[in-house]
Amino acid sequence: MSTVSDRVPLHLVVNGVAHSCEVEPRWLLSDVLRDTLGLTGTHVGCEHGACGACTVLVNGEPVRSCLMFAAQADEAAITTVEGLAPGADDPLTPLQESFRAAHGLQCGFCTPGILMSMTAFLRDHPAPTDADIREALSGHLCRCTGYTNIVRAVSDAHAAHRR
Amino acid sequence: MTLAGAFVFRGPRAAVWELLHDPDVLAAAMPGARQLVRTADGRYEGVMKVGLGPVTAAEFTLVVTLIDEVPPDRFTMAIDSQGTLGFTRGSARVALAETDGPATTMTYTADLQVGGRIASVGQRVVESAAKAMTAKGLEALQRALDDRLARAREGAGS
Amino acid sequence: MPPTVGKRVPRNEDRRLLTGRALFVDDVRLPGMLHVAFVRSDHAHGRLRSVDVAAARARPGVVAVYTAADLGGYWQHAPLLVPPPPVPGLVFHACTQVPLARDKVRYVGEPIAMVVAESRYVAEDALADVRVHIDPLEAVVDLERALEPAAPRLHEHLDSNVAATVHQQTGDYLAARAAADLVVTRRFWYDRGVSAAIENRAVVASWDPRAEHMTIWDTTQAPIPIRNGLARLLGLAESQVQVIAPFVGGGFGPKIMMFYPEELLVPWASRQLGRPVKWTEDRHENFVATTQERGQLHDAEMALARDGRILGVKDVFLHDTGAYDPYGLTIPINSQCTLLGVYKVPAYDSAFTAVFTNKPIVTPVRGAGRQHGVFVMERLLDIAARELGIDRVDIRRRNLIPPDAFPYDHGIIFQDFTSLTYDSGDYRPALDQAAELIGYERFVRDEQPRLRAEGRQVGIGIVNYVEGTGIGPYEGARVTVEPSGLVRVATGVGTQGQGHFTAFAQIVADALAVDVAAVRVVTGDTREFHWGTGTFASRGAVVAGTACRAAALTVRQKILDVAARRLGVEPERLELAHGRVRVRDHADDPGVPYGELAAHANPLRGAVTSGVEPGLEATAYFGPDRGSTANGVHAMIVEIDRDTLLARITRYVVVHDCGHLINPAIVEGQIQGGVAHGIGNAFYEQLVFDEQGQLKNGSLMDYLLPVATDVPDVEMVHRQTPAPGNPGGLKGVGEAGCIATGAAFAQAVEDALGGRLEIREIPLSPNRLFELLHDTASPGDPA
Repeated sequence: MSTVSDRVPLHLVVNGVAHSCEVEPRWLLSDVLRDTLGLTGTHVGCEHGACGACTVLVNGEPVRSCLMFAAQADEAAITTVEGLAPGADDPLTPLQESFRAAHGLQCGFCTPGILMSMTAFLRDHPAPTDADIREALSGHLCRCTGYTNIVRAVSDAHAAHRR
Repeated sequence: MTLAGAFVFRGPRAAVWELLHDPDVLAAAMPGARQLVRTADGRYEGVMKVGLGPVTAAEFTLVVTLIDEVPPDRFTMAIDSQGTLGFTRGSARVALAETDGPATTMTYTADLQVGGRIASVGQRVVESAAKAMTAKGLEALQRALDDRLARAREGAGS
Repeated sequence: MPPTVGKRVPRNEDRRLLTGRALFVDDVRLPGMLHVAFVRSDHAHGRLRSVDVAAARARPGVVAVYTAADLGGYWQHAPLLVPPPPVPGLVFHACTQVPLARDKVRYVGEPIAMVVAESRYVAEDALADVRVHIDPLEAVVDLERALEPAAPRLHEHLDSNVAATVHQQTGDYLAARAAADLVVTRRFWYDRGVSAAIENRAVVASWDPRAEHMTIWDTTQAPIPIRNGLARLLGLAESQVQVIAPFVGGGFGPKIMMFYPEELLVPWASRQLGRPVKWTEDRHENFVATTQERGQLHDAEMALARDGRILGVKDVFLHDTGAYDPYGLTIPINSQCTLLGVYKVPAYDSAFTAVFTNKPIVTPVRGAGRQHGVFVMERLLDIAARELGIDRVDIRRRNLIPPDAFPYDHGIIFQDFTSLTYDSGDYRPALDQAAELIGYERFVRDEQPRLRAEGRQVGIGIVNYVEGTGIGPYEGARVTVEPSGLVRVATGVGTQGQGHFTAFAQIVADALAVDVAAVRVVTGDTREFHWGTGTFASRGAVVAGTACRAAALTVRQKILDVAARRLGVEPERLELAHGRVRVRDHADDPGVPYGELAAHANPLRGAVTSGVEPGLEATAYFGPDRGSTANGVHAMIVEIDRDTLLARITRYVVVHDCGHLINPAIVEGQIQGGVAHGIGNAFYEQLVFDEQGQLKNGSLMDYLLPVATDVPDVEMVHRQTPAPGNPGGLKGVGEAGCIATGAAFAQAVEDALGGRLEIREIPLSPNRLFELLHDTASPGDPA
């Protein structure tokens, strides 16, 4: 039975803001982001790494935050969906704009994870084909959209970025 | 789930029969067994800690009841194991046949029902895990039998 | 101003969703909030002898542990949500679920005890402390076995596992059969799975003892009935309870199931403890604790004339309702009615038995039993076509209900308790258009033989469906112009991704001549609007949308009246544009903004004209006499790999008719998503229960949802035969995409395999195709 005294210190930079807190070693990164830090934009769909909704960037790489203990992210720089357009009046990123224009989201629950994945994907893939995009999306489950408009949104964002 | 097989013990049948009824030996041999105590004639209770595939090890209570005993020939065990992560329930029939050596061929058939989380998440590994646990257990029993027979020889010799 | 209805307006709600600022139920955080975990049955059937919670209660961090005994008078069977429709001779036994098991457990996952603790982690730790003693009973999962005399009985006050029997008929089937040139008889098995919304269910309840008010956040599709029911059960006034369905991450049906055990218990616990309480379902729980739609076993026959005309259909089927039947007979009645499809069926004899089994509760999932009817009908037609030597599309053409036959009354009872009547439809052009678009004739004549000669297994499938949508009873909406000029719309339905915040805004924006972005829509909050039922059965946009329109038109008139009095001109001389009123043909008149009129209509001093309401606000309700009938055609081309038996869909066409479109992007999104859902149900998804009711694949590792590489881009054509029953001519479309997919899949795969196999079951999968191709076991038996 763990007690408060079993907690370990955790230092994270999330969306550019430094946080220090104490966490139990068994707490998942997804739970710490949502509950301890109040960043509820990262959603939990399965807690076993299948749906991808909880994807965040850890030191720039997409990671399923439900498969990581918070303690494993000590000293890491994390970006969540809230970090894409941080202020209430900030413009949406080209990727977010493309999703809106292409109707690439319906209920929006899986969307934050996809945005984080695709942010990294577009950064690392200068010339993706639709097939590449579909392949990259195959780690994400969406029950609403049937994926067509998501592929289009990512493709449009890539085209916009190149312009 | 049906688990069936055979194992040849190096040793006489009477010794094997005794071994299979000794709770301390069984507790030591069964993978994950923490404790096994004879609570009544032919009834053993204990605790195991077992993991299965993606399911982290957790505690299960275990109750084994011996029925239909025909020493030193055969017996049936009723098995009932429960924990937060599910249960295993069923029975196993064990038969012992003495052969040259002396050796004892044990044949077993177990019909087990698995339920709860270990069934719904661990399904792909349930059978292979059960076989692996059984194999490990039988090998440990053989080693225990070797020890017991060695001590008996020493005792007789001294 | 040009109308926005009919245009692809980007959604009002997207910014919040894209920036992670949208509130979902699990995002709710309140001071002092406690967390819940449930002890659930590991046995599908058993006598619950004892539940020992002492150790759990003693664990640090655990605040309370409740069993059935602790609930006192609050423990009762949940209300029956849908009474049986008025079909003569119907037999129905209502056996609804209980909050916590007492005496007996009837399915794996049934809740037995509730642990409330300082964190979900501690609550789950405490589950291991609870000692449950169940004496297992033999479980029954197979439908036919459940009806055998010696079968284990779930509800012992009944003398069998029969939940209901319903027989509907029109015409004289026996005469039709006697006159037939061909009678096709087959057994069909249709299985489904979970709805698998990416957001699992969640409930947060907060009882404020000072305000004597209960606030509940719930991932429900029906906040108003939940509020009313919970208020009654908790002994509170309706006005003391507020239910909020904020953003909901996908509904698909199971979130319209009401009075789940967790929904009943979390508010009760908050009241007991005087603290907010939260329960969030995890994915593993979702596989057993959230309702799903299960199997049906059909013994069907079709009597035909030599030229392919249907003379009659007879269908006897078993419907799996799971361990309890709170949702009545909606699903099997839908199956019974939807089977008729777009076809003239002069004689119809349909009888079903709903059967209790030791599996999770069955309530509607997208399609709600319609796919079963479509599957049976379309498969019978395919088999008849083959046996009569008639082309598959031609046999369908020969049986379509003609366009002048509407309203077409089938003479049987539908799920809305009225006679099954199609209000409108034009089926032949839709079928022809689909066949044309997928290139049916060219494929069958040229491409398929060519590809087959290369050794490839390709096939084509084309099927029709009809979908009753937009049923009553009613919905309502209130439209208000605020002094700022913002237009606020409140309606009682909830939203789970189908774009109400935009679609309803478009309707109101057009009526009031304002920008869509200036219309703020609120759904799913009983404090904002408390009359209505919810989103289900493809009715939200039709029914609530029509109410929005009516309320907006009343506000429009009020704007004109207030402006007329203010400006001293006749209302007929005024025009509305961009949120302002001005005198017609006075181009340089800037006009008066609505907000100013709204303030003017709400004075702090002075007298008001008698009979006039303050402000610019109106509430309206809409209750259609009957639903509006949407229809469509699905066509697909599939290739089956010779070695792996994996299916690759190379083309998927949907020609559908949902009347007028409010927002084409939203409609297309519903169809694309529905087809993806249908593909999942047809080929990838299957819930595997063993004989003792244990679910063997209760995780997303083993229950396969389609991913982006599995789903083709659907080619869509929208036909618009307006619904006569509502002013906007609207029909629903939420379920359209997934109703016909199974039937299309079966036909196309059968065609691809070149007649080596007759497919009489769904889902298929590479494993199952292999078994069917190599086995002598008869297809149609449960896999």
